[in-house]
Amino acid sequence: MGGAGSLLHREALREYQELTFLSKQEILLAYKRFSELLPKEQRDNACSRRVPKSRILTLPELRANPFQHRICRVFSTSEEGDDSMSFEDFLDMLSVFSDSATPDIKSHYAFRIFDFDEDGTLSRKDLEKLVNCLTGQGEEVSLSNAEMEQLIQNILEESDIDKDGTINLSEFQHVVSRSPDFVSSFKIVL
Amino acid sequence: MSYYYNEAFENPDYHFSETLEIDTNRRSQRNLLPHQNLCDSSPYGNNREPNGRRENYSPAIPMASMRHGSEYRESFSLADVQTRSPYGKFHDNRSFEPEPEWAYSPPSPFHLLDGPSAPSFSSASEEEKLVENLASMSTRERIKAIQKMPETMKKKREIRNNVLREITEKSGRRGTQFDCCTKCLRRTEVSFRRFRNSLSERFHQLWLWHKTLKIIGGEFGTSVLSYFIFLKWLLSFNIFSFLINFSFITVPQFIAAEPNNLSFTGLELLTGAGYFQKTVLYYGFYTNAAISKTENGASYNMQLAYIFTVGMYFVICLLILLISMAKSFCRNFINPQIYSGNASKLLCTWDFNITNEKAVKLKQKNLSTQIKESLTDVNKEVLNYSVTETLVHILIHLGAWAASLGTAVAACASVYFLAINNLELFMEGHKNDLESQAAMLVLPIVASLLNVLIPFFYSWLGQLEKFQNPRNRTYVTIARNIILKISIIGILCYYWLDIVAASKSQCWETLIGQDIYRLILVDFIFCLLGSFFGEFLRRIIGTTIFVSLGMPEFDIARNVLDLIYAQTLTWIGILFSPLLPGIQMISFFIVFYVKKVSLMKNCQPPRQVWRAAQMTTFFMLLLFFPSLTGVLAVIAVTVWRLKPSEECGPFRGLSSMFAAVSEWIKILENYTGSKWVVWIYNNLITSELFFFILSIIFLIITYLYWQIIEGRKTMVKLLCKQIVNVGKDKVFLLRKLHLQQRAKQNPSVPRGRDQQRRSSYHPSMQRSQQEPSYLGRTFDRNQNASYNEYPYSAGILKGTGFPPDLETSQPSSSPGVSEAVALALRARQAAQWED
Repeated sequence: MGGAGSLLHREALREYQELTFLSKQEILLAYKRFSELLPKEQRDNACSRRVPKSRILTLPELRANPFQHRICRVFSTSEEGDDSMSFEDFLDMLSVFSDSATPDIKSHYAFRIFDFDEDGTLSRKDLEKLVNCLTGQGEEVSLSNAEMEQLIQNILEESDIDKDGTINLSEFQHVVSRSPDFVSSFKIVL
Repeated sequence: MSYYYNEAFENPDYHFSETLEIDTNRRSQRNLLPHQNLCDSSPYGNNREPNGRRENYSPAIPMASMRHGSEYRESFSLADVQTRSPYGKFHDNRSFEPEPEWAYSPPSPFHLLDGPSAPSFSSASEEEKLVENLASMSTRERIKAIQKMPETMKKKREIRNNVLREITEKSGRRGTQFDCCTKCLRRTEVSFRRFRNSLSERFHQLWLWHKTLKIIGGEFGTSVLSYFIFLKWLLSFNIFSFLINFSFITVPQFIAAEPNNLSFTGLELLTGAGYFQKTVLYYGFYTNAAISKTENGASYNMQLAYIFTVGMYFVICLLILLISMAKSFCRNFINPQIYSGNASKLLCTWDFNITNEKAVKLKQKNLSTQIKESLTDVNKEVLNYSVTETLVHILIHLGAWAASLGTAVAACASVYFLAINNLELFMEGHKNDLESQAAMLVLPIVASLLNVLIPFFYSWLGQLEKFQNPRNRTYVTIARNIILKISIIGILCYYWLDIVAASKSQCWETLIGQDIYRLILVDFIFCLLGSFFGEFLRRIIGTTIFVSLGMPEFDIARNVLDLIYAQTLTWIGILFSPLLPGIQMISFFIVFYVKKVSLMKNCQPPRQVWRAAQMTTFFMLLLFFPSLTGVLAVIAVTVWRLKPSEECGPFRGLSSMFAAVSEWIKILENYTGSKWVVWIYNNLITSELFFFILSIIFLIITYLYWQIIEGRKTMVKLLCKQIVNVGKDKVFLLRKLHLQQRAKQNPSVPRGRDQQRRSSYHPSMQRSQQEPSYLGRTFDRNQNASYNEYPYSAGILKGTGFPPDLETSQPSSSPGVSEAVALALRARQAAQWED
């Protein structure tokens, strides 16, 4: 840490700039934050390390987010499936959540985050989990079964264009395209 | 982890559908057409592969880059899918990668096309195509296209490297006869790009308050953040205006400054009169002479500098506002049809900016209550009001409007009489004693008091009216506040332009400048007091005395309207007091911090979901329409109609301010080199005909666009209907399929994988209608294939339990095809009847 060891290589930096929506400053900041998540002795080559999920979730930006587990899952490329993140995964995530990412890519990833069972569509179960995440799990906040049923029915009625009982990606993007706030709210800044 | 995408493969239904997909794959390869159109239904699907999201790319990418910026993206992509499909291309989605076992199957002739290196059926060839596509783009476009891929970094890098290799190969093939000129050009291009990148990074560093804004967003969400962003935006307007006014008007004036022999007591800071009268702060101090440092040297014409600086500033303001407003409109108001989407808003309601744990809890609670409320609202809507109740409601609304308009009129009247009284006092006295200075402050204090107190009355009225929809209450309250503020500013403008300008004062422009200075200063003080009393004391009361009140919410609408009011005053004042933007700049700077501290200490996040993006657009519109256009009208009247004072200011002795320009043109006519300026002036600026033609052209263009929009609206409606029909087709087909499947399965003895599948998947009509599960989805992805016989026949064959190998090797012109076509036709008919 400190000195040249903890800095990104210039070539790598330019490559990251080309491949993500992030600016140089943002990438450097991301690198700093990422290497802070690693134990001290590993910081020298942070690029090749993976940070376990538990450490990733200590980031203040993700700590309180109800979708934190999904975010880790979607962006992790870990082969063991332990949702650990490499630096590149981390950059991928920040790129999608950055200011300059296009609405298309944001909605694409939002869909994947909301697709809890990862079957490619938002089914009733996914929607139920989504609503639960949105309202929290407390006693007085969670919805009754009937309310949930009606709510999901409403959602499906409005957004399920082809009436197959689930929301697929294009339907989701259709809904999102009508909600201009989405782009500004689907954002995580380091 | 167990359920990566490959887990989906464990699901027997996927096996089922996958065969369909493989068939489609082969089919698509036969076509050998670029797979650009697949995209929309599910680029998502193609991640379904053992290694998660790595080995794939979304074929949607080149498409996306081509059609970006389309507002109706969604509808049109659907339209693509719908209109192109009937027979021609197969819209393969590659939703499912072939399973590993398929890799061992004997390669069909089609696969040979992919070359020996093809690891899986078509991904290699498609990738090649993608690489080719990307290679043919310009550097900038390519980078953008790669950035837009929903892929991992590793994959993106791979693609990028492939593309780069392709490009170097190509240029190598083309021969090395690149002359040094091309090389040079390329090098400059690269270095220019690098320079621009570094420049934009520098700007990024200058980005003010990045951290503060992040904290605010983290605790209060995007809606409150939008207020601060708006404030920052206005601040940048003022900084810009201050800089150009200072450098083009004030600095030259310093050179020709006269000594100022008025005494400075300190009270002038508040009143803006006295000592300041003879400073660069006001119009009256500026000279009308051409300033030159040396005799016979180049001179600086103050008159022209003054009028052109102010004029250019307003033109730039107008353009910036117009552009940002148009952008914001096009981004935020793209609902071609009426859309009652409350529930579906839930899908994109979560604010990922919020990082504070308490704020998250609060937000969740608010969302939950809102959902509950909206659900009960839906139920309540059935309930009708009786006639008398409706009448009472209407009467209450009318009464409230009468009361609010009445207060606005009363406020205007009081401001007007006070102002006239003020002027008399000023004309009489001219003594610099404390009394008259205090009297000067009465008018701005009263105006600010009215501006602060009446909104409270309005919000009380709004509560009294009992709106069914809280959003309506917000809108009505905002409308009333706007009316109040506009009328106060309007009456003040009338007073300035009609009474002050016609008065016998020595320098009426300076008088107006002083008035505006005082108004802005007092408004600023009241803003500070407002956050103290309105938020700090309110919190103390809310948390200690009346606990039920709780902490106050940050009232975004009121605060934004205050900002717009202040900005309008500044704009009006620019002509009379060129350094006013500097003062406003300082005050906005302080307001930012005060509001931030007050927000953090005293307020809680707003309970309602505030449609921040739309409201920001709306506020921008307000800033444009009554505010900037009104200001432009005032400035225009001042410049063209009013006679400047005889003894002060840069335009003394002229019949109007604009006369300075016409005189300058007359001088220019003597120089042959500047004939074009004269021509432009005569034929464009002063000619009515030109403006007439211009406005007619604008009207025609507007009309054409209007017609295009209408056409698109009907198009969208038709397409929506078509989608619904296709959905019905699908349900019908599924039903048929299940029936057939059941009929054929019952006698046969299930074996091997089929047995597994059946054990987990019991097709029944009932279920297929309620939740057509995986099968339904496959069809959904294939729906763009529009009943192409292959998937269907494959499905039937599969359903009948044919082993997969046999099935793929079968020619597709099996008898099942015609059956399927007939079924599809019937399905369509059924759907039309149902419709």
